[in-house]
Amino acid sequence: MSKKYILGVFDDEATLVDAFEKLKDKGVMPVEVYTPYPVHEILEGMPIKTRITHAAFFYGLFAALGILGFLTYAAVIDWPLRYGGKPFNAFPSFIVVTIVATILSITLLTLFTFSARAKVFPGKKAEIFHERATDDKFVMVFDKDGIANDSESLKAILTEHGKIE
Amino acid sequence: MFNSAVRGKLIDGDKSFSQISKEILAPIHAKTPLWWYAAMLVSLGMFGFGLYCKYITISTGIGTWGVNNSVAWGWAIINFVWWIGIGHAGTAFSIFLLILRQKWRTAINRAAEAMTVVAVFCASLFPLLHMGRPWLFFFIFPYPNTRGPLWVNFNSPLFWDFVAISAYLLISASFWYFGMVPDFATIRDTAKSKIKKAVYGFFAFGWTGSSREWLRFEGLSFVLGGIAAVLVVSVHSIVSTDFAVSVQAGWHTTIFPPYFVIGAIFSGFAMVLTLVITMRGLYNMNDFITDRHVDAVCRILIFISLIMGTAYMTEIFIAWYSASEYETYMFFKNRLFGDYAFQFWAMFTANAVIPQLFWFKGVRKRMWIVFIISIIINIGMWFERFNIVVTTLSRDYLPAAWANYSPTYVEVGFFIGTLGMFLAGVLLFFRYIPMIAISELKSVAKFDKPNNGQLKAKSHE
Repeated sequence: MSKKYILGVFDDEATLVDAFEKLKDKGVMPVEVYTPYPVHEILEGMPIKTRITHAAFFYGLFAALGILGFLTYAAVIDWPLRYGGKPFNAFPSFIVVTIVATILSITLLTLFTFSARAKVFPGKKAEIFHERATDDKFVMVFDKDGIANDSESLKAILTEHGKIE
Repeated sequence: MFNSAVRGKLIDGDKSFSQISKEILAPIHAKTPLWWYAAMLVSLGMFGFGLYCKYITISTGIGTWGVNNSVAWGWAIINFVWWIGIGHAGTAFSIFLLILRQKWRTAINRAAEAMTVVAVFCASLFPLLHMGRPWLFFFIFPYPNTRGPLWVNFNSPLFWDFVAISAYLLISASFWYFGMVPDFATIRDTAKSKIKKAVYGFFAFGWTGSSREWLRFEGLSFVLGGIAAVLVVSVHSIVSTDFAVSVQAGWHTTIFPPYFVIGAIFSGFAMVLTLVITMRGLYNMNDFITDRHVDAVCRILIFISLIMGTAYMTEIFIAWYSASEYETYMFFKNRLFGDYAFQFWAMFTANAVIPQLFWFKGVRKRMWIVFIISIIINIGMWFERFNIVVTTLSRDYLPAAWANYSPTYVEVGFFIGTLGMFLAGVLLFFRYIPMIAISELKSVAKFDKPNNGQLKAKSHE
């Protein structure tokens, strides 16, 4: 870490959110916020968004079409066989496999997407700013260069409920 | 909808966040207790006996089982459905209570999901060995080959079952694992020993708890939760079609899918109860899994037990109302008063009658009674599967083909082996994995905190 950072450390969610909103009104945004559990005000307030649910929808759409297409190809075109007097294209009984295999595809692909986008994968070394952010501390990280002008008011707001480390 | 004001506090003892992590992680950081080794030894012994019986099954063949031409599905299918049923509750518990916004689920869902993964794994062994030549199991995959009917039969419920079970195993395992990633990070950051830091650090996948991770994590939980709900319902419906699609009296009914799904959730919730009461007893988790949590599960069990009773009565009523000779015979001569009448009445008493004791507060409050009833329900659900599989097969349309069924020691040993595997899995879970979802529990802990009255208290969802 070559850059210099200011850490605002808080003991609970309410004080964190309060400080976060006050700072946001002043136009100061933290680089990142670390919390032991998801805090929705922070997730909504930070300038990040996720399209993982949209991705999942399209995975599902293409998986369903692909699987249904494969079943039809295998049972109707490639090697047609009569089973129990059903037509070759026994569409209703293909639905079952399509649903279950689609769910499997969505799950696996969304997991890989999550892993790639959130950068959470096996063998990754965690970049830890504050040891207790996964335990009981709520930590806001500020880039020291970016907030040179507001550093006084920043410190005032941070020390109101939390402390600076 | 219950909110926290109605439900009361979700965690006893006014704990701080670090206290929560510390107390839940205590069993992981503590020295392994002696009883743990003893219990592990017993379950590994059972597991070893199971391995021996599997060896006999594979080396000699299915002839070592008690199954015959008429009752071709014996213990293998009974126990397969039983384990799958138990395996259903874990995901059902997390998912349905997530959808219903029941925050008390947070203390129990981790244990329930662990149970799911181990139980589904036990279940999957039965059909595998029942194939007779398990080393050719890959024939069931639809892949290009030169065997004749080139592809598998996509109309067959047995193929649906294969797809459903493998999907369910993969999905429940990954759902469970990704729920644990933040907790592994907590262990990594609180552990003192270097080895623990490294091992749990690896499993934590570099999790830091940043808003970028949490945001996507929430999106992921939303997607997985939504589609796993569909999966839970469809997997056991598919298991029921293994029976319902055949043209056998007692199986060929439309009630089967809902009846199986409800039965699965029933046995699974009973097993969850067995498990969490054990956790409370062994690890002193009473502050997290409070009496109110157990009470809530008991109330759910009353409701499901009533549905089970209704399903049993419906089957009997429809058998009479259909005026089908074979259905009438199957229920009124065979199941109720035939050779296997004991199994029928054991099932009825254990599933529809005894859980009604939960109506009494005195029963719900006494943990040892709740524990015993939860075991009785599991036994009752086992008898239900016995009743469904064996009564129908032993008395089919042709009296010349009637045959009774009793298992050999190989089949019994196979079942004991899976019980040992389940116990060993649960013991490993107790020892090495946080038994309660720490980060989820912390997010509901704030409902207890008055915020010192100085800041606005917002509630989520």
